[in-house]
Amino acid sequence: MKRISLFISILALLALTALLPTGAVYADGHCEFAEDSIKIGGLVPLSAPGTVAGGVAMSWAINRAADDINAACGVAIDGVNYAIEIVIGDSEGSPERGQAVVERFILEDEVDAVTGVYHSAVGLATMGMLDENRIPTVFSEPWNDNVSANGIMEYDGRPPRNADGVDHVFRVSPASSMVGSVVVDWLLDLGVGNVVIIAENTDYGQPAAADELARFEAAGATVTQINVELGTEDFVPILSRIQASAETPDVVRVIVTGETSFNLTQQMAELGIAPTEDTICVTNQVAFQSEQYWQNVPDGNYCAFNRVGIIPSLFSDTAVELNEAYFEEFEDIVPSYAMASYDAVWIIADGMARAGSMSDGAAIVAAIETTDLDLSQGRYYFEYGNHNPDLPEGTPAFMWHQWPDPVVTMMQYFEQGQSSLDAAVIFPVVYQTHGSSYIAPGTSP
Amino acid sequence: MVIEDTLFVLWLLLAGPLWATVGLFILPGVNQGRGEKEQVPATTLKIAGLVGGFALGPVGLGLFYLEPTLIRRSSLTLGVVLTVFLSSQVLARIVDPNLPAALWLLLAGPLWAALAAYFIPRHYRDLEADDQNALTAAALGGFAIGPLIFGLMWKTVPKVNRDWMISLGALGAWQIYALFAIQNPANPCVALPYAATYLTQQTANGIVIGCIYSLMAVGLTLIYSVQGVVSFAHGQLYMVGGYFSFYFLLHAGNVLSELTGTEVSVNPIWGIPVAAVIVFVMGAIFERVFLKPMHEGLIERVSEYAILITFGFGFFLEYTTLAIAGPFPQKTDRFIQIRRFTLDRFHFNDEVFFGPIHIIGDRAFAMVVGVALIFALLYFLQRSWTGRALRATSQDRQAAAVTGINPTNMNTLSFAMGSMLAAMSGAALIPIFNWVPWVGAEMVGRSYVIVVLGGLGSVPGALAGGIIVGIVEALGAGCHPDPSRGAAYKEAFALVIFALVLLLKPTGLFGREQH
Amino acid sequence: MLAFRRFERAIDSGIGRRKLGYLMIALIIAFFLWFPNDTSQSNYAKTVFISGFFYAIMSSSWALLAGIAGQFSFGHMAFMGIGAYVAGLIARDGVAFAMLGVNITPESISSLGAIIIGTVAAGAVGLVIGWLLLRLRSAYLALFTIAFSELFRIIMLTEYDYTGGSNGLSLRPLLQIADVNAARQVEYYLMFGLLIVCLLALYWVANSPIGLFLRAMREDEDAASALGVNVVRYKILVFVFTSMIVGFAGAIFYSDVGSERIIPEQLEILQMSLIIAYAVIGGMESLIGAAAGAFISRYLLEAMRQVVISLPFGLTTADGSDAFVWDTGYWRFALFGVVMVFTLRYMRNGLLYPIITWFSGRDIAMKETVSIRESDDDEGAAPTEADDE
Repeated sequence: MKRISLFISILALLALTALLPTGAVYADGHCEFAEDSIKIGGLVPLSAPGTVAGGVAMSWAINRAADDINAACGVAIDGVNYAIEIVIGDSEGSPERGQAVVERFILEDEVDAVTGVYHSAVGLATMGMLDENRIPTVFSEPWNDNVSANGIMEYDGRPPRNADGVDHVFRVSPASSMVGSVVVDWLLDLGVGNVVIIAENTDYGQPAAADELARFEAAGATVTQINVELGTEDFVPILSRIQASAETPDVVRVIVTGETSFNLTQQMAELGIAPTEDTICVTNQVAFQSEQYWQNVPDGNYCAFNRVGIIPSLFSDTAVELNEAYFEEFEDIVPSYAMASYDAVWIIADGMARAGSMSDGAAIVAAIETTDLDLSQGRYYFEYGNHNPDLPEGTPAFMWHQWPDPVVTMMQYFEQGQSSLDAAVIFPVVYQTHGSSYIAPGTSP
Repeated sequence: MVIEDTLFVLWLLLAGPLWATVGLFILPGVNQGRGEKEQVPATTLKIAGLVGGFALGPVGLGLFYLEPTLIRRSSLTLGVVLTVFLSSQVLARIVDPNLPAALWLLLAGPLWAALAAYFIPRHYRDLEADDQNALTAAALGGFAIGPLIFGLMWKTVPKVNRDWMISLGALGAWQIYALFAIQNPANPCVALPYAATYLTQQTANGIVIGCIYSLMAVGLTLIYSVQGVVSFAHGQLYMVGGYFSFYFLLHAGNVLSELTGTEVSVNPIWGIPVAAVIVFVMGAIFERVFLKPMHEGLIERVSEYAILITFGFGFFLEYTTLAIAGPFPQKTDRFIQIRRFTLDRFHFNDEVFFGPIHIIGDRAFAMVVGVALIFALLYFLQRSWTGRALRATSQDRQAAAVTGINPTNMNTLSFAMGSMLAAMSGAALIPIFNWVPWVGAEMVGRSYVIVVLGGLGSVPGALAGGIIVGIVEALGAGCHPDPSRGAAYKEAFALVIFALVLLLKPTGLFGREQH
Repeated sequence: MLAFRRFERAIDSGIGRRKLGYLMIALIIAFFLWFPNDTSQSNYAKTVFISGFFYAIMSSSWALLAGIAGQFSFGHMAFMGIGAYVAGLIARDGVAFAMLGVNITPESISSLGAIIIGTVAAGAVGLVIGWLLLRLRSAYLALFTIAFSELFRIIMLTEYDYTGGSNGLSLRPLLQIADVNAARQVEYYLMFGLLIVCLLALYWVANSPIGLFLRAMREDEDAASALGVNVVRYKILVFVFTSMIVGFAGAIFYSDVGSERIIPEQLEILQMSLIIAYAVIGGMESLIGAAAGAFISRYLLEAMRQVVISLPFGLTTADGSDAFVWDTGYWRFALFGVVMVFTLRYMRNGLLYPIITWFSGRDIAMKETVSIRESDDDEGAAPTEADDE
């Protein structure tokens, strides 16, 4: 009995410590708000097996956007100001959880719109439900091509999700084919012939690798693809295999995210595979987080990486501000998915204001389709939607409800410990900052 | 087409064994009408009958019958290897030309292994023969030489020694290697002239990383040898070890920088003792509170409790670290400023015939640290009074208690030291791999493989096991015929070995036989 | 306390605890049956309940395997995955055994047929694994099942072309109901019915003579075997039985009843460890305790995502809000770990055990804590080369 009471008192103590306050977030009130507020659901991964780091940044950005909008007196509908209220849901990176959370958003929280989503599997699994319930949705990070092909294309043998021809899902992140084409175009411009692709075996890595492989092979390059499991730490055996191949590869392209990408790139550099004079190192866009990158990949100088999102030298005021706030919070450069999530909330708010409603799904979708807004990542608009329903021959289905202009660039570090804000943009040529499309190791532009 | 193929398969399945049976009975007839000195041992003749009949059918039997001098061990071995190898290839191609030969390996090899592993030890026991290692040999043999293992082991029931297992294991490994070669001749493991360099490089990779793995596994084995408990919190202790080192170095660096006014970074080697001390204390406290009652008989079903309680501790550690340190990857500075050590090319007649071999500098350093710590531990266990007391407790608890050793203290010491070793390997690896709170999961899985392979409770076994696992992973990832899958299956190779060792020889390579 | 004793006596002299227990169970079942008809509840609550039922099945069947039969397996999730993956693959690609003249095409098989094949497959693998595990005990068994489960997950993840890799595999939907609300209603009852059926089946096994043999085996395999219990048969039986239950539950749950697709991440050891934790907290030796433990733990972990404490008496926090808001993040899992460890140490039979024993009218806890056994060195995991050594 004594033991049990000890146990209970310890539990109670723990519960008490658990309940200690850590501070609450609420905007100040110089604006007059209506009693109702606009509820926007943010579906992000906040627990394993999801990509927690991504979810944390996205949830921060979504909340930040709401705070900024509210500070500017919220969304004006029929002359009344409505505040935005964010409900964050944890998808855990799993389709099943994602569906459950979306259902909660719709039925319990009664959200008016949804944004977020990091993992494509979650995006694919939740789109149908969002459509059926007529919830305007702007996804900010899933890359799978099919995510925006909703309404145009069937996937997985399921019937088209929408009965009356309206579909509610938009995407402001690039489709993986859009990213792949930039990387491949750049490398082909440099004249590479022998390519090694190292891809993670996930819903992001595999389609992206397949897409790039097809493009390289169409251009006559030889490609070796190597798949790795996320969470692997030691890549030396497989890297030795690359090193032993009869022909030195012209480029090693890493399509691996997170800490696994850092491990891989660092070991690649340490073994002297890439970047070298013969071999170009192309690592993943996570390298843009320069603080983390240099901490984890000290030898990664002269690695190039693809960057989604506006390039630092073209940062708008919004982007600069967002970046500063992000740096204060996480001590790193703001990643594209945080910018996209931030912008997505603004796009929704703008759509509602122009539709003059926060609940009429069809009207809001129609308004979002005609979006024309300058935000942190640039000018947002949607080329194909119900306002312009016919995709010309040759235009891929994913261009439906897809922001056509996510800036995808190739960047390259050329100094040890360089901030990604100073890194060189090397491709496409229009964005070039240092007048060169590749900086050979050991040189500077 | 289908019918012909089926017939051919049937011939392979039936005719080979058929002729082997014929050979088994006919060939001993060679001895008839021969002088005392010309007699060939009956066993040899039987084996020759089996092998000759299976491999070459009537032709082989005829040759052996007419010219018994051909029956030599070397020719028999060669016959076995050739038979198995060719027939497996033919079989795989015939059944379906599109089927990869690996499928044969996946199906036929293990199938025969399972059959042999089931029947042969039973047969040994029925005949009341010494069945020690019979199971292992039967399984290895079934895998390596298929049905022939029945011929070898059924009739004569030989006593199985280590040589048997080594040769059968080597034969099986050689088959896998040969299959790789046939599967993809461009595979760097087999493509001459670089194969030698490549294999050396991969073996070196394996040894370096294996020694580092060992350090963690040694902790696990130490706890097991004294307490009989497998710690399921080991991976998390390894993880927190790395984090303690990281935060210590961070703060020490900041403090020193402030004092001296210049940017100072502390060498991560100093993180190792710090992490060791902190986790030692943590381990000791956990042992006192949660494991001690177990040894005092206050707990029902001890083994289950031990799994669950350590498991729960690990669960707590992992999520607490996640809540505090966050999910972002961290890494410390490096140990030494040398990127890699390179053994340069060897030339012969102006042609490169060997080299270069690369080893990453920090890893080599961590390997040295790991091996030094393991030897320090061995020295401690062999020479110091406390170490001897630990060993005595692990061998016989009651007897140790009689000689004045306090087993309770030894329990606490073993758990604390085991945890400390995990933390030290964490602190030794954080300069090499980047660190996230779930980093322990992959590593601890590997430690289980190592300790089981080396024999739970054996420190030298853990070292050997670590090196073997390192090499298997390196060669597996390096030689897998499909380069796109080799790396993804890297972890799986060790797990397969693990499952096999658990099934065939749970005492491992160096484990004590339990009575 | 005194009032409670008086209440206890009144119950004992009146209806009796056991009957009251049955009454409570009937009430709980009635509540679950009524719940979806409560119009104030959203579909989300039903979704949460559906996945709660699923995890309750997982947890209670694991309790039979580990708590009652003493087979400490980490492979439970993998068996569930086998059921779901096989059902999904067969419904998509069909299967042909030319030699047996069996040819199942995707068109010729119904979703239920696929689910049954998945269940049988899970049972068959359970048979093989159970047989392989005959020689292994406690920690060794746990380690082997970890290896098995990880291997299965890695293969599902890597063989992208067949299994869909981390995009997951869509199973053929079991129900074809257009209306979302009606569909959710049916899914709810289906999963609840499945839970009840599984619990009844598990109870039937646990309370039959087989259950006694299983318990005997858990306490001491050698002694049980010496007393004439056919350890081999019961060990294999319990593996086949529980893997078929979870294979079936998994195949149904992922046939668009609880989830639209199964992903390999679901098979991670982490997910398995959560199931173990649920069972431990609810009570490993009580099937209903484990089921309730899973249901309640999942609910609490969900509810504790954000802790909001409204301040009384019009007090406000420093920044003017009238409630403390704390996003618990990973702390709630850390707390969960603490609860698990302390439960193990101080309430070995689970937090729900006192309630269950009270209703069953006898205090087993007393009996069990008194029987102190000698702690033995070979208690841990003594592997033996052969069974009869």
